[in-house]
Amino acid sequence: MTLVYDPTAPAPGATQNLYHRVGNLSGKVVGFIDNSKPNFNFLVDEVAELLMNEHGVKAVIKRAKRGASMPATQQVLDELAAQCDLVVTGSGD
Amino acid sequence: MSALPLNAASLVEAPEDLDELIEFFHLRRWSDGLPIVPPTRERVQRMLTGSRRQAHEVVARVAPGFGEATVERIAINAVMAGCRVDHLPVLIAATEAISDKSFNLQGIQATTNPVAVWLIINGPLALQLEVNSGMNCLGQGSVANATLGRALRLIMQNIGGALPGDMDRATQGQPGKFSFCCAENEAQSPWLPLQVDRGFAPTQSTVTVVGAAGTHNMNSHAKDADDLIRVVADTMAFPTSNDYWISGEPWIVIGPEHAQILHAAGLTKAEVKQRLWQASGLSAKRMAKVEFQRTHTARCEELGAIDLDSSLPISSHADGVGIVVAGGPGTHSVYVPSFGDTRAVTRLIES
Repeated sequence: MTLVYDPTAPAPGATQNLYHRVGNLSGKVVGFIDNSKPNFNFLVDEVAELLMNEHGVKAVIKRAKRGASMPATQQVLDELAAQCDLVVTGSGD
Repeated sequence: MSALPLNAASLVEAPEDLDELIEFFHLRRWSDGLPIVPPTRERVQRMLTGSRRQAHEVVARVAPGFGEATVERIAINAVMAGCRVDHLPVLIAATEAISDKSFNLQGIQATTNPVAVWLIINGPLALQLEVNSGMNCLGQGSVANATLGRALRLIMQNIGGALPGDMDRATQGQPGKFSFCCAENEAQSPWLPLQVDRGFAPTQSTVTVVGAAGTHNMNSHAKDADDLIRVVADTMAFPTSNDYWISGEPWIVIGPEHAQILHAAGLTKAEVKQRLWQASGLSAKRMAKVEFQRTHTARCEELGAIDLDSSLPISSHADGVGIVVAGGPGTHSVYVPSFGDTRAVTRLIES
């Protein structure tokens, strides 16, 4: 055997804390960040209907980013943070 | 002997037989598929002599995994790629450059788009390191061009954590993801070199990183500058380009012969950019309908009211068209469309 270096880097230390669980969704306000990809609006409309009709969600707030590969503006983040109990911030293709 | 810092790279036991050792790296997904040079303690120590920086200094955190790129880890990946000792400062500068927020490495690493990181080397160091800027400069055959680009890819994969098929979601990718590196052909350029455009002195050596979505040959025997600009601009304007829907930063590798034609017509580099920018407007109706909707969302603040009769600029201003002179004899230039949501970043290479 011989010794060689591992070329990878470990993931950064777990300094981020997960926010508390919200429990059930009844009466909650749910936010979505729309990544502006085609059809996201249809998908989220459907999910919003399900959340409100079947899980008692009070309201769903949707805010769009300029494009999928860029972050939401601070204004959008502040608005969602102020109004929502939980926010779905990321969505894949 | 003092204890190693917490971010020191780990040594692992591996087979002594070279074939088995290469397989050991493939199995751990520590390679790009090609054989690697084993990063032994001796080789990495030797590589570290290429920089004055401390081995455990953190150069950057590399997206999307945000692993710590220490000088030592950069050196390990440089050894694996086959780099020479004097390549290390280029890779340190390149790692800093890709981690600049405006480059959007997180998007580039994780996207379905085929984005390679193109390294453009300028200044005296390009000659000293024999980075090819002439014939076949984007092809095979030069140690520096082949290994610098490869090392940066290994850094992005091993330290940044973007493994193909996992965090690297590229639908097809592109061959430039193995290596994409050249120097500017400053000797045959009629204009000031790229690093001067970007605020550095001609005597300083720099690396510029570009989020490149491919290369497209532009073969034109045009000898008239207006004719040449027309066909280049027409090539830039294709409806599936990322540059139009999000306001990008496309690049042209102008071959020395084409550069001379433009220069002989009295055009400065800034004027060439302006002419190309003006002539490369894309008719919005050429886009797929859904792409136009995305464009509308992404660019309404920049462009105001746009509709299907609008002509869309490729970037928000003429200087968004990047120009570098490279290549050998021949009637060729290369169009390099960008990822779109990325801006090139230039960093000084420490001597």
